[in-house]
Amino acid sequence: MQGQATQIIHAYKQAPWRIQRQWIGAFLLIVIGAAMIAALYLDVTARTALAGREIQQLRIEVAGVQRENADLQTRLADLTSTEVMQQRAVELGYRSVQPGELDYVAVPGFVEPEPAILLAAEDTIPHVHARPAEYTQSLLEWLTERIKSGAPLYP
Amino acid sequence: MRQQYAIRSMIIVAGLAVVLLAVIVQIIRIQNSEQAIIFLSQGSRYAGEFQMVYPERGNIYDRNGHLLAGNRMVYEVGVSLNEVESPDSMAYILGQYLGLTYEEVFKKLTESPESWEYIVIQDYVGAETVKALEQLINQLEDADDPRLNGLAFKPHLQRSYPETDLASNVLGFVTRDGRGYFGIEEKYNDLLAGNPIQIWVPHDPYKADQIPKVQNGTSLVLTLNRDLQAKVESILDQALFDYGAQNGTIIVMDPRNGEILAMAATPRMDLNNFTNYFSLYDNGSQFNRAIGMAYEPGSVIKVLTMAAALDNGTVTPETTMIDTGFIEVGGIIIQNWNREAWGQQNMTGCLQHSLNVCLAWVSSQMGTQAFYRYMERFGLGHATGVDLSGEAIGRLKVPGDSDWYPVDLGTNAFGQGISVTSLQMLMAVSAVANEGRMVTPHVLHSMVRDGHQYNVPSQVAGSPISSQTAHTLNEMLAISLEQESSKALLPGYRLAGKTGTAQIPTDYGYDVSRTNVSFIGWGPVDDPQFMVYIWLQSPTTSIWSSETAAPVFSQVAEQSVILLNIPPDVVRNQLASQ
Repeated sequence: MQGQATQIIHAYKQAPWRIQRQWIGAFLLIVIGAAMIAALYLDVTARTALAGREIQQLRIEVAGVQRENADLQTRLADLTSTEVMQQRAVELGYRSVQPGELDYVAVPGFVEPEPAILLAAEDTIPHVHARPAEYTQSLLEWLTERIKSGAPLYP
Repeated sequence: MRQQYAIRSMIIVAGLAVVLLAVIVQIIRIQNSEQAIIFLSQGSRYAGEFQMVYPERGNIYDRNGHLLAGNRMVYEVGVSLNEVESPDSMAYILGQYLGLTYEEVFKKLTESPESWEYIVIQDYVGAETVKALEQLINQLEDADDPRLNGLAFKPHLQRSYPETDLASNVLGFVTRDGRGYFGIEEKYNDLLAGNPIQIWVPHDPYKADQIPKVQNGTSLVLTLNRDLQAKVESILDQALFDYGAQNGTIIVMDPRNGEILAMAATPRMDLNNFTNYFSLYDNGSQFNRAIGMAYEPGSVIKVLTMAAALDNGTVTPETTMIDTGFIEVGGIIIQNWNREAWGQQNMTGCLQHSLNVCLAWVSSQMGTQAFYRYMERFGLGHATGVDLSGEAIGRLKVPGDSDWYPVDLGTNAFGQGISVTSLQMLMAVSAVANEGRMVTPHVLHSMVRDGHQYNVPSQVAGSPISSQTAHTLNEMLAISLEQESSKALLPGYRLAGKTGTAQIPTDYGYDVSRTNVSFIGWGPVDDPQFMVYIWLQSPTTSIWSSETAAPVFSQVAEQSVILLNIPPDVVRNQLASQ
């Protein structure tokens, strides 16, 4: 029994190439791991760059659309200005109402609305907290936060 | 055999390791070399740029959401000098399209400093012109013609007024440097314009989220009613024509809260062509005469004199006096407008016939101290605090001033020797129409920012008289209008009001041939919902307010009740009783 063990150890010692293969294997593993991380990093940074460029482009487009919106709003006001509307009304055969021609009707519960401008399309600044942390945290920051908070690292 | 392989493997690994080490050493060496520092500094120059960002100027709306001032897209037409291949042709084409001379454009294209890469040919070019130029560029590109190579258009916004001259005296205007002048545009310039900021815009896409968002200017909602404003301006223009007056103003205000519903003044200017300003106005006070020009108002001020005397307990509506046609105050003889004696009169009669002698008697009975205390309470000689730029404060001489004389107590009582603006009179008399509470006139109804509307609360400027006094005087003024069969009356509506005819003071005394005619009135008397002030300068068809300003008041009142949905008194009372 002891002899067999000695033989195995001897045989192992007599095969240094195995040790070298192990080293080479470990080295290749590290290289492949590093390459994978590098590829992953490259992929993420490339995507980030593309997204950043897209954001820059969108900002320019947003500014352009806002300008166009303001311009169209003013053009619309041109088309509905007092003078134009009066002219159109006259062309359509309307005339100004006289006091005696008006009929007043009581509408129960009616309250004259206060001046208000509808702003459904008004641009608002998105709140800072509206963007989830997943979109801004790095892996390291996420790990640190989970460890500090004592939360599990898995769902 | 395996030994040999092992040695070879070792040699290869060692060789690769040496190469790798050499690469790393080289990387570190290059990154820390002197050239690297130079390259880095060169690179940082293109890392981004500072940009001055001017926020979009806020819009101005009337109370019903009609746009009174907005922004229109215009273009900066420029040229990238390095791309220009035919300056001669470009100068000719741009000269034709932009209304410039060939020499002017050619000089810019050819004589700009060497270091310049881009020049502006013309700014604030309209969209139609740019569209035509873009079509031409497309045609030339299709034909592979390089004559307009390098031409670029940069869009930006310019202030625009869709209603051109409507309410121009209230709105003011914005020059090309983005600054507001007069009216709302000047008063709220900081709010409307927002805060221009210089920001760093990185070209690095990783820093895209570092570009700050610039907040646009605040939009404003005014108390003006666009339709009523248009009608009032039309009535004013017609009145100037009909009565041959030089200029005029009409203000319509809600006496319950001080909201100005319409404010017309002449002359008006097309706000889109603000360069016309200097041809229309001699000085800034003429831009909006309703607030910028003080004048001797004449008999409309008798409303305040009577209010003060009633509130002080000096007189009651039934108090009588014998009008002999003249009264001596401070050693000076004061006469009536027709220089006649009107006999025994009660206080309503004094107002109805607008008797100077009677009102001078009333102020004399009150005494100097009480009379001027009330005039100050009514805000005369002080700014109203209206939110418009360029307000004048007029002049109320008081005892102790070097130019005050005892006769002023008598003359001030009927509107001579005292100067006020139209808006000051409206504010002061609002106490009579609003149960003793004097309201601060204002034009701003609310501000709109970040999608939220913030309403501006109305303010009470004081209570110079009691509610009882206001009721009494309301009734007296309504009766005096009715008994006089005034041209100011409007069928179906009970109104109160007072005329004012004032000779115009000159350096050599009063000019008897020219007058300022005014009218102040409100209605319906039992629930005043609108107040109107009218001032016409130097009418030529008649010098009397009762024949000029009074009928104008009736027209304005008629349009006010229609556009403000105020039913006739009978109908209103029926509806109220339902």
